[in-house]
Amino acid sequence: MHIGHYISGAAHAGLIGWVLVGDVFRADPPPLEVTDVAVISTEEFAALQRAQQAPVTETEVAVPVIPEAEVETPEVATPEDAPVDVPTPEAAAAAEPDTTPDLSDIAAPEPRDVTDDAPVLITPEVDTAAVVPERAPRPVVRPAPRVAPEPVAQPEPDTTIADEVQEATRPDARGEAAEKPKEETAPEAASTEIATEPKAEPEEKAASAAPSRSVRPRARPVARPDPAPAREAAVAAALKEASDQQAPAARPPGGPPLTRGEKDGLRVAVQNCWVVDVGSRAADVTVTVGFSLDKSGKVQGDIRMIGASGGDEAAATTAFQAARRAVLRCQKSGYDLPIEKYDNWRDVEITFNPENMRRK
Amino acid sequence: MTRVFASFLMGLLLLGAVTTGGVAQAQNGPLRIEITEGVIEPLPFAVPDFVAETPGSNQISKDISRVIAEDLSGTGLFREIPAQAHISTITNFASPVQFADWKAINAQALITGGVSVSGNQLEVKFRVWDVFAGQELGNGLRFKGTTDGWRRMAHKVADAVYSRITGEGGYFDSRVVFVSETGPKNDRKKRLGIMDYDGANLQYLTDSSAIVLAPRFSPTGKEVLYTSYETGFPQVYLMDVASVRRRVMSDEVGTMSFAPRFSPDGKSVVMSVTEGGNTDLYRMDVASGQRTRLTNGPAIETAPSFSPDGTRIVFESDRSGSQQLYVMAASGGEATRISSGQGRYGTPVWSPRGDLIAFTKQNKGRFHIGVMRTDGSEERLLTASFLDEGPTWAPNGRVIMFTRETRGADGVSALYSVDVSGRNLKRVRMNGGGSDPSWSPLQ
Repeated sequence: MHIGHYISGAAHAGLIGWVLVGDVFRADPPPLEVTDVAVISTEEFAALQRAQQAPVTETEVAVPVIPEAEVETPEVATPEDAPVDVPTPEAAAAAEPDTTPDLSDIAAPEPRDVTDDAPVLITPEVDTAAVVPERAPRPVVRPAPRVAPEPVAQPEPDTTIADEVQEATRPDARGEAAEKPKEETAPEAASTEIATEPKAEPEEKAASAAPSRSVRPRARPVARPDPAPAREAAVAAALKEASDQQAPAARPPGGPPLTRGEKDGLRVAVQNCWVVDVGSRAADVTVTVGFSLDKSGKVQGDIRMIGASGGDEAAATTAFQAARRAVLRCQKSGYDLPIEKYDNWRDVEITFNPENMRRK
Repeated sequence: MTRVFASFLMGLLLLGAVTTGGVAQAQNGPLRIEITEGVIEPLPFAVPDFVAETPGSNQISKDISRVIAEDLSGTGLFREIPAQAHISTITNFASPVQFADWKAINAQALITGGVSVSGNQLEVKFRVWDVFAGQELGNGLRFKGTTDGWRRMAHKVADAVYSRITGEGGYFDSRVVFVSETGPKNDRKKRLGIMDYDGANLQYLTDSSAIVLAPRFSPTGKEVLYTSYETGFPQVYLMDVASVRRRVMSDEVGTMSFAPRFSPDGKSVVMSVTEGGNTDLYRMDVASGQRTRLTNGPAIETAPSFSPDGTRIVFESDRSGSQQLYVMAASGGEATRISSGQGRYGTPVWSPRGDLIAFTKQNKGRFHIGVMRTDGSEERLLTASFLDEGPTWAPNGRVIMFTRETRGADGVSALYSVDVSGRNLKRVRMNGGGSDPSWSPLQ
């Protein structure tokens, strides 16, 4: 019984394999050979024949006696080829680099007035995590102590982040004062002991409270342009930071990753503006560019070349310029990307690989 | 037992399907994507008329702007946005550019310039802008010359613009020497002509009393080698273009010489010499006239062309029974056949870039201009017609000019050019017919 099953199974597997591998159902018709046929006249045939005859035939005709080759210049209207004096390129007299627009009459907004009283509001009680369920959905594993249980080594690159954290956790008006304490206190308390003590303490605190990973400072509410919800935004940001501190590595930064369709949307949008000059040396260069996007999907700051391969420096520069034009030209009012996943597409790296284009 | 195994197998299959189905994984670092498809289209650019900075320079500034626009558009790589579509006007060379206005009409490159004339002295300055990046490409440049040479100045500006946008050298400030052909096919007058690459400033170097063939520029562009039948049989001559003085290069009794071409350093010439019914390649020192044999065999070997570094020579030979392309060391010796397709191959020319060899191919009654890698790989045919032949490279190795002859008793020869990608095939604007073009280096 079992043996019968095995034999039957093996036979079926063999049959399926033969069908798949053996191209049984391949529908390719036998190739047809097409030959171009042209009807030509006798004159054309003669012309063809003439064109095919190498000069050899004439070599056997005669071994001519060279008439004392007195080469006379033909009485041609000797064109005086008086080339114009070669224009000598020289650097343009430092034509003033475009005068940057005069901004003097644009009243500069007071820079930091908006900077939030937000910290004032932030007294992250134990239940603050509940306010932002989408940011910290998982149960907090460790109660993040505000003050480090033990001194921590000197914080390194995270110092700035630590500062933020410190501001956020202080209920008093230190958010405002945090930027000025040196100016106000240092001159009076000139003694080194007094000056260092208050400094050392917050640093320790900050170091202990700082998350182990970078929390991307740009997410803070400073960048929000609209003044009305600035306060709420600041609260939200502060709460986010607080929750980040409590569960630093509990989730990927920035929510769910982009789907393949969302990535394809960006790819197609950029490739529609990527002009490839297939005959140039730049078409041998694969270039990678990096840039940042703001929340509206527009390029923020400069586009930089991260790497290039396949050509010399000039070709790489040209390839980079074409890539940069593609990114800038097709952004229009901003690339269409899901705002809730902003953290995942804030920084973008695009590799432009023209290999397939060269075959066109 | 079997059932358990089947369940296990099914489980594995399901697991595989789920894992390969693209379950999203957490993303670390920036969003990374790769783009492998782009578009092939001309890059839109704008050349507002250059600013006339002196009273008498209005017309010449317009003319210069037009030549620059025609040079760039003529490559097929750029498309001019007509002046009627411009939103901004440039009235001062030093004024800031309103990039938003040029972005709005999708101008990706903008060329601004100024022209001033003082007596017969002409000064042209220009800048190139990457509109979408909002920055200048390179630095401003200024050319000085005489008003007679305004076309050359315009070509020079166009060369600089082309170079900044493409990263490669230009070819606009160059000339072409060719065989000018006039009259019906059975009584055609042939003489050497020389003109700008775009057909302007045509002049003649010889009269039509003798048949002339295959003129070739020297590496400096100041001399031309050509073959003439004025003594009744072909001989190679060297002519100084400025003075039209010339001398015969090979005058040994009982020989015929043809298909000459300079070495890249200009010190020697390689050519075919027929002696005793056999045609072989020789290298001749220009100064001393001393000749060195490079090939020695019963086959017909001709149309030699040096590689840009001067170390190798490509030529055509029928040693295998049909006309094919071969490469050998510049000092002669063993040659390697590089052409392998159907049909006959001839008139190979090594690209100034060194990466490609252009050739004429005859197959099934049609003629083609094509290119291949120097090892014979990646052959691509760029044209097809009743008769295409004699390719010559633009100084930047980007464009090929050749002869196209039309069918029939009243067929005419004309010069055509095509981009190395096979695009932008067009006839060179010129009066009358022409054949056997040779492109000069950049002047």
